[in-house]
Amino acid sequence: MTVKVEASADAIPHNTLLMVGIVGSILCIYLTYLNTITGLELFSFFGGLGAVIALIWGTSTIKRLCSYGIGTGVPSAGMVAFGAGIIAMLLGTKFGIASPIAALIIAAVAGAVFGFLADNVLNMKIPVLMQSLAELSVIGALTILGFTAMATGDFTFSAISAGTISIFGFAMSSANASYLGGGVIAVAFMLGAIAIQHPFNAALGPSNTQDRTLMLAAECGFLSMIIMAVISFAFIAVGAALVGLLIAIIGWGYTYTQFIELSKRDAAAWLDAKPILETEA
Amino acid sequence: MENIVLGIGVAALAGALATVAGAAEDTESDIGSQGDPNSQVQLAPQMGYNHRIFNKAIAGEPPAWALWIAIGAGVAWAFMIMNVNPVLSIIIGSILASFVQGVYATTAYLGRTASLAKFGQPVYVDILKSVTPVTVAHAFVAIFTTVTIVYLMNAVLGHPFPLPILGIIWGIALGAAGSAVGNPFYGKERQYQNQKFGAGVPISASGNIVRYAEAGERSSLDNGWFTSKFGGPASGICFGLIVFFELWRHLIFEHYFGGWGSVMMGAIIVLIITIMARYIEVWARKTYGPYTAPEEEAI
Repeated sequence: MTVKVEASADAIPHNTLLMVGIVGSILCIYLTYLNTITGLELFSFFGGLGAVIALIWGTSTIKRLCSYGIGTGVPSAGMVAFGAGIIAMLLGTKFGIASPIAALIIAAVAGAVFGFLADNVLNMKIPVLMQSLAELSVIGALTILGFTAMATGDFTFSAISAGTISIFGFAMSSANASYLGGGVIAVAFMLGAIAIQHPFNAALGPSNTQDRTLMLAAECGFLSMIIMAVISFAFIAVGAALVGLLIAIIGWGYTYTQFIELSKRDAAAWLDAKPILETEA
Repeated sequence: MENIVLGIGVAALAGALATVAGAAEDTESDIGSQGDPNSQVQLAPQMGYNHRIFNKAIAGEPPAWALWIAIGAGVAWAFMIMNVNPVLSIIIGSILASFVQGVYATTAYLGRTASLAKFGQPVYVDILKSVTPVTVAHAFVAIFTTVTIVYLMNAVLGHPFPLPILGIIWGIALGAAGSAVGNPFYGKERQYQNQKFGAGVPISASGNIVRYAEAGERSSLDNGWFTSKFGGPASGICFGLIVFFELWRHLIFEHYFGGWGSVMMGAIIVLIITIMARYIEVWARKTYGPYTAPEEEAI
């Protein structure tokens, strides 16, 4: 049995973040369905917001998992999460309107199986491993699904695997120009996988604080959202993509300045062009 | 015949681009202090050695570079789908990817340094201002060259994988090449210049990295100046050779199964290497066996 070492006491308990994360991201992903109802593509940005909420929850999960002495395993946890999540998400998109719920359930089951294998067969013996890997898989699936909905305006398999390419003004349907066929899902995968592990990995240390770590999580999420918004120009109307880009940039700007303020608050000193301060050893 | 000549030309060009990419990648990670040597930079304040070295922990190098190259390739792909000129698309993709890299670099430095407050390590804003643009510039060179390689493979050589997937694969390869070849030079030679050469680093010297320069205090830019002479070019040669040999496999086998022949051949080569590695491991275990304490000689 591994010993638990808390990085820092949490003001917001993990279970609260878990509930807000599940409900918030599912709700936001479902709000992109307004695209189908209204016939507009204006609501695509909700997918990106859903991904940001899932990433904040994921940072808390990684922190909880890594309090059991998984130092260099922090980045790996992100990769495992998205590896399991992307399979569940792709399978989930086959369920039409129920896609987000289906992706959630499939990811939870897949993650629990991974967790069971790692905990009992590989004998890692970490008490929260099974629950954490199930959570991380769900987060991976919801984040990729959110970014997918943001880029394409839809979360069903038929929509993300069909694409059109215009050659000399004629629109031709081509699977290679689609979200899946063009491999853009690989960008969503990496954007999420680095964003989920970076906040805890970067704020690692004895003076870690929860609000700073979570603010960094939101910052990473909005940064990834900027990139997905730029890519979404290839799939959705220019106006809808611009709205997404604008929201992403505003969100990123706010969280980035807030993170710098919080770092200023937590740092031992904030110096500009000063020599090394020698501590008496 | 013409196709073969074109293929050989592209392989040579891609190999040259990869050499530049490898050198820029390693210099970037040494200036930004990423990867394995950064653990000593992180440890130093805890051992009582405050320093003015950048501290850029963004996953390992391979996953981080998979992201930068995937962003570059993905954005370039999106612009090309919208009928934008490929050269312009690659440049826009590389700029956006470098921007993301720069933001991650600043948050990594601020986050890690602020979390070391207990040990009195201050945040030096001038480091953030002076080092970040240099790492972003090197990252841009590496991202632009690698995305160009990926584009050449896909558009000219007809590789069946789409641009972003190739981007992830070559990003991981680029990060791994820089991390494996160049970083030890930075970590063992540069950080521990005060230790006797060839003696290794004793546990007691852990975290006691060189913090003062020939004149004044050592900055991460000095590390780039040092490693760009040897560590960078060595990583460049490593990644250049990987890309060059890899393309020969593709050139020879791409005519089978509609382009997938080279992918299958790649899988077979990986399988052969795995079997070889396993054979060597088993042979080494059998030959040398478990560790035995040396027998005491009778005096």
